[in-house]
Amino acid sequence: MDRPDWQEHWKARRTPFAEECRQARAELLADLKDPQTAQRRVLEDVIALCADSLYWKENGYDRIAADPGTFRDILPLTRYGDFERQIDRETRTKGGVLSCSPVLRWLKTSGTTGVPKRVPYTLHWLLTYRIPAMAAMWGTYLEHHPELLDHPHATLDTQTVREAVTDQLYGVQYQAISNRYPQLNSRDWNPPWGEAPWFGTRAPASHEGRMYHRIRQLLGEDLHFISAINPSTLISLRDLVAAHGPALVRDLREGTLEGEPFGAPDPEGAERLAAVLAREEFSLKDIWPSLSLYSCWLSSSAGLYQAKLDEVLPGVAKMPFMSCGTEGVTTIPVDDSLDSQPLAVGQAFFEFVPAEVPLGSLIEAGEKVDTLLFDEVEPGRDYHLIMTQGNGLFRLWSGDIYRVDRIVDGTPWIHFVHRDGVFHSFTGEKITEAQVTQAIREGTAAHGIDTSLYMCGPNWAEPPHYVVVSEVPLPDPELDHTLSSAVDRQLMEINLEYASKRTSGRLGALEFYTVPKDAINAYNEARRHPANPTQHKYKPFQKDVGFLADIVGR
Amino acid sequence: MIETKRPPQNVRKEIIPLVSGGTELALHRWQPEKPAKGAVFYFHGLQSHAGWLWEVGPRFADNDVALYVLDRRGSGVSQGERHEIPDVETVVADYVHALTEVRRRIGETVPLTLFGHCLGGSFLAALLHHESFRVPYQAVVYCSTWLGRLHALLGEEERAALAAEDSAELWDAGLKSEDFTDDPLYRRFIDEDDLALRRITRRSRATLLGLEELYLAPRRTLPEVPSAFVSGLTDPIVDLDATHRVFGELTADRGMILKFPTPKHYLFYTDVRDDLVDWTSTHTLLQGVDRDG
Repeated sequence: MDRPDWQEHWKARRTPFAEECRQARAELLADLKDPQTAQRRVLEDVIALCADSLYWKENGYDRIAADPGTFRDILPLTRYGDFERQIDRETRTKGGVLSCSPVLRWLKTSGTTGVPKRVPYTLHWLLTYRIPAMAAMWGTYLEHHPELLDHPHATLDTQTVREAVTDQLYGVQYQAISNRYPQLNSRDWNPPWGEAPWFGTRAPASHEGRMYHRIRQLLGEDLHFISAINPSTLISLRDLVAAHGPALVRDLREGTLEGEPFGAPDPEGAERLAAVLAREEFSLKDIWPSLSLYSCWLSSSAGLYQAKLDEVLPGVAKMPFMSCGTEGVTTIPVDDSLDSQPLAVGQAFFEFVPAEVPLGSLIEAGEKVDTLLFDEVEPGRDYHLIMTQGNGLFRLWSGDIYRVDRIVDGTPWIHFVHRDGVFHSFTGEKITEAQVTQAIREGTAAHGIDTSLYMCGPNWAEPPHYVVVSEVPLPDPELDHTLSSAVDRQLMEINLEYASKRTSGRLGALEFYTVPKDAINAYNEARRHPANPTQHKYKPFQKDVGFLADIVGR
Repeated sequence: MIETKRPPQNVRKEIIPLVSGGTELALHRWQPEKPAKGAVFYFHGLQSHAGWLWEVGPRFADNDVALYVLDRRGSGVSQGERHEIPDVETVVADYVHALTEVRRRIGETVPLTLFGHCLGGSFLAALLHHESFRVPYQAVVYCSTWLGRLHALLGEEERAALAAEDSAELWDAGLKSEDFTDDPLYRRFIDEDDLALRRITRRSRATLLGLEELYLAPRRTLPEVPSAFVSGLTDPIVDLDATHRVFGELTADRGMILKFPTPKHYLFYTDVRDDLVDWTSTHTLLQGVDRDG
């Protein structure tokens, strides 16, 4: 039987891919041993890229080119919103406004105000930074687990997808960074499994549909590695095997995929699968005994998934995903350390400000803030992270707080602690206080109720979900039910990631409880710390739902 | 010539501000990593601007050919009155200024192709025949241009009336995106592009007529450079037979006529885009070969 086309692609790409990843990892390791040179190189690159941009020329920033040492003196610290006017211009010109590189696509990501951001994905950024970062991470995976390229079915990669895009900004595609479709050129991300049917545009776009295809097409294969970004994806994978067990058994037995002809019937495999599924506590290792590795975010709040991951993937080795966002890469794993990774000193020009500094309000007020460079941070301390990226977004306050764990060969090893001003994110949805406030305001206004004090916390149930307690004039269980739906719906409209995770079942519905006026205020006042009463603040976001029992009595 | 054994280049995109007659114009440039081996100067049409060429520019540059596009006064991100095409002398002066700058930047030895799309082709032909234009160039390409359109469609009296037109009232060119491309994504872009111009003042049409007169009644002999006329197999906006006749007159029937397999007007938003860029690139680069060296 002829090898399917996608396997021909796998075969053709296997060796070049491994070499590209090895090379990128080698360059990363070299940077980590000489971080000063790497940071200087990035800074010079950004200046060369931006000095002739309209934005730099119009503001006189181009004089930095004559003296790179003035970079921090001349350029202000920025927030995403500070670039919006320039981004508006860049959507029309597709390059030349923020940086001197063609904009190939726009990256869509949830903004803190609910309006999706537009991050320019330029040719220079793709070639010099984003693709090398991916390759270096996979270089680490391959270094430790070469079996992931043993054969075409060895790796299930859920980090990225290839999905047709219909959204655009003035003709240029507008999509999530995880969607790598279409391939922009031969130096764009192109793993061996790039043409695999579960990876590409032929797979369903919905989370559940795509997951079913992934599972079905890898059933009975010697799968070694499942790669994800969020741990919830791995949990969801196991849950969907359980939820669709009968259909999977039937498809396997009859050689079909959702009833359509797919491959050779495998009645014995179907019987084995049925036997596994009959055990209530089956794991993914039971489905694929060949599993040797999984990867996902595993530090910070993602680490709270660890116990559940141990159940779902018992005895399977794990490696971390890089610390990154749509705006850029911060750390790249070089080994299997789960708690900390080296600052990716070749990915951006990094600056730091101690976490206790109210950076947001200082930037808001336009005050000058002194920053620290990578070689001035101290282990054990938390810092705001500021990044200058090779796409023209300079000195951008990320809003992320990182802890410096240690310094190795001059490079800080760090881990993400939390979003500044954000309490929690179960699985990457990054719900902000502003978003929840907006969702409550809009959800309650539709029922004639004005927004009042509220508290919001994460409930680590299965599935995890958010709980909100809010003061209203006339609390009522029926109203609780109504507002739960209304606020949940609003939050999905405001936060795309939340909507995605709600739709895929990785997050449960928000629970809303109404309480009488002053109930939350009284609760809050009772906790005012006697040692520092002036600094005491009402905090709508809570670390857990302990307040529920105290205020609602549940 | 083009290096064929290398990965895609990290090409640049810049916007060079040019002040012409007190007005700041935007000269867009897509540039290869190393010094360009050839250059193309693109004259955009009535509606479009450099922002339409986000896929075209990088491909030219990847072929080692720098692409320059001037957002015409009042178009794209250039300053100037919207919906207004100024008098012939101002139009010509802006292009002379831009092309002088382009020649300065690329140097004397790099072959330069002048490429006019749709109405841009009429601007190009007029510029070539204007006595103030002295910038050396090595090839000319007219693309989907109706050369001498107003002269073909209007009688003598109508042309006389148009030449005397001084109204600021807007005239709708009646451009429809479905004539430009079949692709729904490009059509949506054309329809939603808030920088696109679809209407001009009636007095602007008098300028267009004046520009046509420059090349329909030429007053100077042009340098002998390769000239080509490219279009789709058919064109919903352009009378190809009529424009081919004018093209033949302009080139003493020594020009080349090429047709790419599409029935649409804006070739760069059809399947022939890359073929057209690649043909223009090689056509440009080959003008740089030293046959006597």
